[in-house]
Amino acid sequence: MTAPLLEAQGVGYTYPGTTPTRALEGLNLAVNDGEFLALLGPVGCGKTTLLRMFAGFLRPTQGTVRCAGATIDGPGWQKGYVLQEESIFPWMTVRENLEFGLLAKGADPAARRAASDELIRLIGLSAFEGTYPKELSAGMSKMVEVARVLATDPSILLLDEPFGALDSQTRARLQDALSRLWEQRRKTVLFVTHDAEEALYLADRIVVLTQRPGRIKAQFAVQIPRPRSFETRFSPEFVALKRQVLEATAA
Amino acid sequence: MKRAIHQRSLLWLASLAALVGAYTVVANQVRRPDLLPTTQDIVQTFAALVVRGNAQSAGDPHHEHHQHHERSSDQVDTLVQQGVTLQDALAVSTARVLFGLAVGLPLGILVGVLLGWSRRTDDYLHPVYVLVRSVPPLALITYIMLWLGHSEAHRLIPIVYAVATTSVIPTYHAVRDVAAPYLVAARSLGARGRLLVTKVLLPAASPTVLGGLRYAVPIAWMTAVGAEMLMAENGIGNLLVGGGMWSSRMQTRSDPAVIIAGVITLAAAGWAMDAGARLLRARLTRWVR
Amino acid sequence: MVALRMRRAAVALGALVVLYGIAAELGRGRLPDRIWMGSHYVDNIQLLPTWRSLAEEGAFLLESDILASSVAVSTRRVLAGLLLGSLVGILLGLATGWAWRLEALADPWVTFFRFTPALALLPLFVTWFGYGELSKVLLIASSVAVVTLLGAHHGVRTVPRAYIDAATSLGAGRSLLFRRVVLPFALPHIFASVRVATGLAWVTIVVAELIDAKMPSLGYLLALSGAYPRVPTMLIALATVGALVLAFDLVLLLIHARSTRWMRRTA
Repeated sequence: MTAPLLEAQGVGYTYPGTTPTRALEGLNLAVNDGEFLALLGPVGCGKTTLLRMFAGFLRPTQGTVRCAGATIDGPGWQKGYVLQEESIFPWMTVRENLEFGLLAKGADPAARRAASDELIRLIGLSAFEGTYPKELSAGMSKMVEVARVLATDPSILLLDEPFGALDSQTRARLQDALSRLWEQRRKTVLFVTHDAEEALYLADRIVVLTQRPGRIKAQFAVQIPRPRSFETRFSPEFVALKRQVLEATAA
Repeated sequence: MKRAIHQRSLLWLASLAALVGAYTVVANQVRRPDLLPTTQDIVQTFAALVVRGNAQSAGDPHHEHHQHHERSSDQVDTLVQQGVTLQDALAVSTARVLFGLAVGLPLGILVGVLLGWSRRTDDYLHPVYVLVRSVPPLALITYIMLWLGHSEAHRLIPIVYAVATTSVIPTYHAVRDVAAPYLVAARSLGARGRLLVTKVLLPAASPTVLGGLRYAVPIAWMTAVGAEMLMAENGIGNLLVGGGMWSSRMQTRSDPAVIIAGVITLAAAGWAMDAGARLLRARLTRWVR
Repeated sequence: MVALRMRRAAVALGALVVLYGIAAELGRGRLPDRIWMGSHYVDNIQLLPTWRSLAEEGAFLLESDILASSVAVSTRRVLAGLLLGSLVGILLGLATGWAWRLEALADPWVTFFRFTPALALLPLFVTWFGYGELSKVLLIASSVAVVTLLGAHHGVRTVPRAYIDAATSLGAGRSLLFRRVVLPFALPHIFASVRVATGLAWVTIVVAELIDAKMPSLGYLLALSGAYPRVPTMLIALATVGALVLAFDLVLLLIHARSTRWMRRTA
């Protein structure tokens, strides 16, 4: 059993302020290499806080967060982070957005071009490579953001409710797209969501958090075979597991 | 975080101290009091102008102080003789500014509401507004003088005009963009007339309008000072040029120490009003996210 | 939709023209036609000159080159002051927005200049730099610098955290972050402040020229036409200033629109 890639030990976080808010408390979490882990919980349970700690933007007020054994001390391209809010750069074209990470790495134009070519094909936006985000739909924008973090080939992906603001059809489509992407380029993924079905559809393992202050309430191993499709959502195993998960979250 | 604020205040103070210090050194080195009055000169000028200068009363402690003036500039003497004090001048200028705000703001807000409320009115009147606001208010002073002659009115009108034209746009924006969705929601709930205006339009628009107040205040000051510099016998602007430019060509050469003293006073007054405007906005719109 | 708006605008402006003409005609007999100039009366003044006399006066001013040279001089000063001031202001604003230590250092200066009406500094500048081009250009430059500094500063400070986080996560260092994320985002704010500064510059130059005593310049034209008085000239000078302010604003608007084609149009 190899050591987990991402580890949180006894993690707690309290937001400072006139009334300090304890977002997380005594949390222990391990994400294994190559695993797709979904963090499920209600609004305000501290999942974003935990993700931001893994991404290196917050330091836990108690406990430690580790990546590959070393304490996390800041953001970096090795941990691809897709925020909940829209963060596609509106002043850059789709292609320029995709190439940004490689630009930061110092890659030469040819290498950047090759990488962005591949990604554009991967997300199926070949017709839009030179357009500005203002002409993209919300779903397309989000896909660009996901592809953007893939450009630098990080080993870890941290996704914070990326499809939360989209309508259900777009969300379903993008879940499929993400699933296929992940199957092609295996990465360790920590995926935050409040939607149980989305968690079941995408993940290998689901961790359910309580209300604030967030602690682990339950865990589920999702052994539904891949590749998963539209039909999978109605298979008996899926439905049974969904029931269990929903009961756990409601408890 | 606290450390950062601490450091910040220190740097601020250090910068200010360095500024004053450097100026003092330079002014003392250069020794051209007609160009760069020393810090001491400035302080003494302040003293001379704030204290009710009465050169006639001998044995008066203030008179003593005035006598100890290192260099007595024409302007300071003239001003002291005429009994002009800094605080009087400030009071007059402030009165003009407040008048301008009191009359100009409602006017500007009214026009802004008119333009923002109905697309139709906007289409017709907006171009007119753009034309009107393109003419600098102080330039108008020459024309107004023909109609009204030398009177307080012809100094006040540009200030009112400037404040009014400046406050149209924030109000327009507030009504048209900020308040619009709330108005729509309220109307579909059946609200109309007075209720709509007092309970929806006013509160929704007030943050933006009050924010616009912060723009109107410096404009009012600028116009007031300009009007005073051009044609008034009192007020800080007048003080700065040693006498109304047009009413009587500069008899006494402007003393830079007086100018600096006046400018510092103006800056302080402007800052105070701005702080007041900010406070007003915060108080009246406590519900803003 | 736009056509309708333009039609309405044309109607409104046309109505203005007509109304003014009517007012001028009505005023001819009824408005006072002598003005007290402080020491004497001047007769034959048309407080509201008819369109006809305005046109004649305009033709005269254009032929005699008075208007053209005045416009040239004033415009030159405004442009010089704008360029100098914007350069200094934007650079300083970006710097202070980006490095908080610099901001703390510069703050006393900025606050002081911010609350000092530009015109109040005119006597000081005149004392230091004499009457003439330098004091005027510097005066404009200083007020432009303050406005653009605040605009650039604000632009840098209001970059949404989401963009910064996304870029940092992608591995951007400080330099890249500033060049490719903060700067493009701040650009619209900078443009908006330049527009405001331009209006301010014109206000300042007119008054500065009203005080100075040299031909040719628009301010002096205004002063001169007030001294005689010669009303048609005055009104034409006023209108010219207005037209120039509008023209500058329009040009800036165009440049802004072109360079921020990527922006989503808000209401």
